[in-house]
Amino acid sequence: MDFRFDIIVEYAPYFWKGLLVTIGVSLAGIVFGLILGLFIGLGKMSRHPLIRLPFTWYINFFRGTPLVVQILLVHFGAMPLLLAEPNALVSLVVSLSLNSAAYVAEIFRAGIQSIDKGQMEAARSLGMTHAQAMRYIILPQALKRMIPPFANEFIVLIKDSSLGMIIAAPEIMYWGKAAAGEYYRVWEPYLTVAFIYLILTLSLSKLSHYLERKYSTQ
Amino acid sequence: MIDVRQLKKSFGSLQVLKGIDAHIHEGEVVVVIGPSGSGKSTFLRCLNLLEDFDEGEIIIDGINLKAKDTNLNKVREEVGMVFQRFNLFPHMTVLNNITLAPMKVRKWPREKAEAKAMELLAKVGLQDKANVYPDSLSGGQAQRVAIARALAMEPKIMLFDEPTSALDPEMVGEVLSVMKQLANEGMTMVIVTHEMGFAREVGDRVLFMDGGYIVEEGKPGDLFDRPQHERTKAFLSKVL
Repeated sequence: MDFRFDIIVEYAPYFWKGLLVTIGVSLAGIVFGLILGLFIGLGKMSRHPLIRLPFTWYINFFRGTPLVVQILLVHFGAMPLLLAEPNALVSLVVSLSLNSAAYVAEIFRAGIQSIDKGQMEAARSLGMTHAQAMRYIILPQALKRMIPPFANEFIVLIKDSSLGMIIAAPEIMYWGKAAAGEYYRVWEPYLTVAFIYLILTLSLSKLSHYLERKYSTQ
Repeated sequence: MIDVRQLKKSFGSLQVLKGIDAHIHEGEVVVVIGPSGSGKSTFLRCLNLLEDFDEGEIIIDGINLKAKDTNLNKVREEVGMVFQRFNLFPHMTVLNNITLAPMKVRKWPREKAEAKAMELLAKVGLQDKANVYPDSLSGGQAQRVAIARALAMEPKIMLFDEPTSALDPEMVGEVLSVMKQLANEGMTMVIVTHEMGFAREVGDRVLFMDGGYIVEEGKPGDLFDRPQHERTKAFLSKVL
């Protein structure tokens, strides 16, 4: 079997553009996902069942249905109602944000609830308000524990952004498919794409290990 | 200083406090003993509303805990608490564990809070541990830091919830001696403990709880040597 490097070379500028799009879309997705997820996680921890309900179902829906379906619903269903000219990149960022928010919310909730009850009690017994106890005692400890699952979620998000292909969002996978279609070749474009994803995800998990070690030594 | 009237509390269908009356004077050291499940820890935790109660009232230093206009945080500033499992903040140094509440709650400047903290660390014999993290402390040291942390708020009352139950036997003494010193200085203290020797030596009054009631109370000498109730006798015969 001959391996045609010339296809990779020819498509290199597109893969590069695709890589930037993948990174940009994933970053935007995790940032909006974090903000939205924090809010949803807080909502889900409410003491009132009625307030909890919509947040619980948000999480149920976005964790319990395939991301592909969510992307199609957002791009062909929701976006045309909101924008005159739906844009595949915008749709992808919105879908990824909504989806990751559901996971972030659960990471956030689990992180906070993993802190021993005695910590809150000790803080309250010293006269601190609930907000002070959260800020100075619970969150600093919980955030440290949330680093690995957050990094994991980001890694999943990078890989999931490849689903943008189905709405023609020009990320890496889209260009891989394009090269495959043009030359009727499988190995060269898809192995290249796989290799790029691997570099992205491996560097991220290295970074996560580094942060975890850095913050656990104190 | 502390007035408890007809205190009742249930966890679900289980009533753990069935009507507690107690009056604790300023400077008094009251020791609460009793079998496990008797409600003594719950009683103690109600005194700063870490545990909410269903019926009755608690008045601390003239403030009714359940009154609408009561700011619980203000009450808790005056009532220090020491826990069985220390509950030190693991992400902070010993010094910061002690200075946090005075700085954030009492709004003391850092210098004042640190001076107070060092004074208290000296008192519990741990000046050299100011800058270490709690995970490097032994159980006895951790509990002494926890006592210093509670004292830093300059509370009027100190509550101790089985402060030596999680300690190795050889470390019990160092914690009890700090508590004894505190008692001698006139601190109002309510102590739930299984240390009968300590109760007899330091307590002004002993409450024996069983089944959600205070069954018997009295001076340590009377209660330990001449218990009146069968249940008190049965309990004491097992632990003494």
